[in-house]
Amino acid sequence: MTIIKKLFEKREITALMFLIFLFLGVSLRNPDFINAQSISTVLKGSVLYIFLAVGMTFVLLTGGIDVSVGAILGISAAISATMIRDGSSVILSVALAITIGLIIGLINGIGVAVVKVPPIIMTLGTLGIIRGIMIIYTNGRWVENLPDSFKMASQASFGPLNVYFLLAVITVILVQLYFSKTKKGKYFAAIGDNIEGSVLVGIPVNKMIIIAYAISGLCASIAGVIFTSQVGFVTSNTGLDIEMVAIAACVLGGVSLSGGIGSVVGASIGAIIMTAINSALIFLKVPSFWNKFIQGLLLIIIVVSDVMIHKCFQEKARKQRLSARSESTKDTVIENDLPEESIFLGGNEQ
Amino acid sequence: MSEKKSLIKLKEIYKSFDDNEVLKGVSLELSEGEIVAIIGGNGAGKSTLMKIIMGIYPLDRGEIYIGNENVRMNSTSIALEKGIYLVPQEPLLFPNMTVEENVLIGFSQNKTLLREKLRKLIDHLGWDICLTRKAATLSIAEQQLVEILRGLLREAKILILDEPTSTLTFNEIESFFNLMKDLQTKGIGMLYITHRLTEVFEIATDVVILRDGGITVNGPVANFTKKMLIKGLMPDNVEHEETKFDSEKTDYHKDPVLKLESLSGYGFNNVSFSVYAGEILGLAGVVGSGRTELAEAIFGIGEITGGDVLLKGSSIKNYNTKEIVNMGLNYVPEDRHLNGIFDIADVKLNTTSSILSQISKFFLNRKKEQKITQKYIDDFRIKVTGQDQLLKSLSGGNQQKVVIGRTLSSNPQVIILDEPTRGIDAGARGDVYKIIQELKKLGLAILLISSDFEEIHELADRAQVMYHGTNRIELSKEEISMDTLTQAAFGVQ
Repeated sequence: MTIIKKLFEKREITALMFLIFLFLGVSLRNPDFINAQSISTVLKGSVLYIFLAVGMTFVLLTGGIDVSVGAILGISAAISATMIRDGSSVILSVALAITIGLIIGLINGIGVAVVKVPPIIMTLGTLGIIRGIMIIYTNGRWVENLPDSFKMASQASFGPLNVYFLLAVITVILVQLYFSKTKKGKYFAAIGDNIEGSVLVGIPVNKMIIIAYAISGLCASIAGVIFTSQVGFVTSNTGLDIEMVAIAACVLGGVSLSGGIGSVVGASIGAIIMTAINSALIFLKVPSFWNKFIQGLLLIIIVVSDVMIHKCFQEKARKQRLSARSESTKDTVIENDLPEESIFLGGNEQ
Repeated sequence: MSEKKSLIKLKEIYKSFDDNEVLKGVSLELSEGEIVAIIGGNGAGKSTLMKIIMGIYPLDRGEIYIGNENVRMNSTSIALEKGIYLVPQEPLLFPNMTVEENVLIGFSQNKTLLREKLRKLIDHLGWDICLTRKAATLSIAEQQLVEILRGLLREAKILILDEPTSTLTFNEIESFFNLMKDLQTKGIGMLYITHRLTEVFEIATDVVILRDGGITVNGPVANFTKKMLIKGLMPDNVEHEETKFDSEKTDYHKDPVLKLESLSGYGFNNVSFSVYAGEILGLAGVVGSGRTELAEAIFGIGEITGGDVLLKGSSIKNYNTKEIVNMGLNYVPEDRHLNGIFDIADVKLNTTSSILSQISKFFLNRKKEQKITQKYIDDFRIKVTGQDQLLKSLSGGNQQKVVIGRTLSSNPQVIILDEPTRGIDAGARGDVYKIIQELKKLGLAILLISSDFEEIHELADRAQVMYHGTNRIELSKEEISMDTLTQAAFGVQ
């Protein structure tokens, strides 16, 4: 029993169960949803959300938030697409797009950690700036006519699995190992958990926060390149509102918005769920404009229930502690003698 | 003492925040195996000094020598590297991590080696602590042990202990002192911040008194008596006037204004007492004895699980805070900054903020607001440049007066004051005492919660002492003394 209970306490497991039930539930209405092709479509489609969620997890763990990832995805996609269309080498184009994502992430990180701009404001600012630059850069036009070789790369598969999905899985495993096995990996969660305590044990708080945003930017730009390859064209609206999906994915997978709790494995399962919901709506013949409605609703439901459960636990723990304090009267009568003249000064500061 | 190796030496440390000079040339030295007790009232600069040693605050002027090396402390990692570790008063653990993760975080050595070392250390200390528990589930005392483990595992040479005993029980204090003595024989130097003079004589080798950012007493404990230490703590020019206010007789034949009937809730249990009009009832007890939880429950913030509260004979158990205020009970909370004041609003708004619905229909009645505010400014001698001065720019004492004024503006018959003079300087303290006396004369029933037993001694007509969530003992005016209060508050039979 305790093993089952422990398993259910793991958010990764509950998220996975949710995913399975989603597939089963939708297939009751439309059995086509649960065949190999549809599952493979979902996994393929989830790749860019997985990358976004991995980067976002770093930021959320530190107690911050990054709403600029959609814009970073967009600009990276636009840059890599135009360069490849105009005949630059794929490697150079991809490298440049990723570098730009990294730099934007660094700027976010410095703004938050050094200048102390609140994370949501800082990244909202960069979001606006990048969106503007992107329209100037593309002249508001679509970037199309990419070479087929680049587009086909997204269809390549290794065994039964899509190559990009495999890449995402490997990334998730590596990052998960980094978080759980290395000394520095724990720092991100520590900062979100208790920032003063982090300072006290000598964690370079500012540096780690900057790194977190830089990684988020980096991951978003990788997602941008993957988008270009998968979709084959880039519009000036590419990546619009996608940060909402990324944040919802993380929260669904058990990453706490107040920092300190969560894993990339959970966040990635969350990303697959978000894609699966999109795809399920198609199978259920729900018009696509409901997508965003449902994403937003889901985000709020998860966050609110998460906060309420958290609060409930905290309150329970507080009450337990307080009760323990007032009930211990019965058995602990202290026989120590106090020196006749004991003087307390100024009360206890807390 | 000369043969002992010096661990850390501070020379003429100065530190200011804005215009406020907190440390004015502090020098002190700690050698191997010494326990230097640092005492001083609130705001004397103890915490600031410790934070400077830990590299959390940069110093303005002065030098720090570790061993014989002049070290620039500008980050905590330097302090940790030099073997300094601060055990903060409120443990700063990571609540979502396990005990082991909490202890091991920040180390660069091999994990398996560290785990082995940690296990040996715990065995050696004979502590019973489960390494896989989440820190959020630990009691404060257990959290403190984890903090100390952290320091010891780092092989710290200098431990800074910031009031470690304030949240511990008697037995825990005893084993904690044994631990300190054990560390002492191993040559570890400790800076021990405390409020309790008895502890100084029990454990410390040396004593330093900080007052207003300067050192007034410094030397081996053996050279001092308690009286001398108290003198060092008192301001020079203030003759410690035992202002025993002439207490007018309270009429105990009338019905009590506030009556608790075996009230229970989270953190307090089976509490019964009455407060009469024109009376100051002192509610004494150490931190964590359930006084604040009790007050919050009466005021409709906390939950009541049993018993009843009667205000003028009728139960207020199921009413919310706003209704309770309207029925004539008001509360001045313990932590001004957290619950009491609107920092960036002006004095006027702060004073009238709880009666806005009474002085306005839709638009605020400016004149009325000004009149009420001016009344309290005059009555309480609140030092302000004008009614529109922002509250955060006032001193702690004046802020507290504004909060009391606001509480009174709702015309209560019962007022609960939770630690009304905490963090207030001596002068303002006297003013607040006078205000409390005035209120009593006006016929208010006052419940005065305080862990400063001198305050209870000075003001209260009767005292209830809380211990582990229950009021154990009632003391009459004649019975109230430092001794009786202390003994009751610590559960001594």
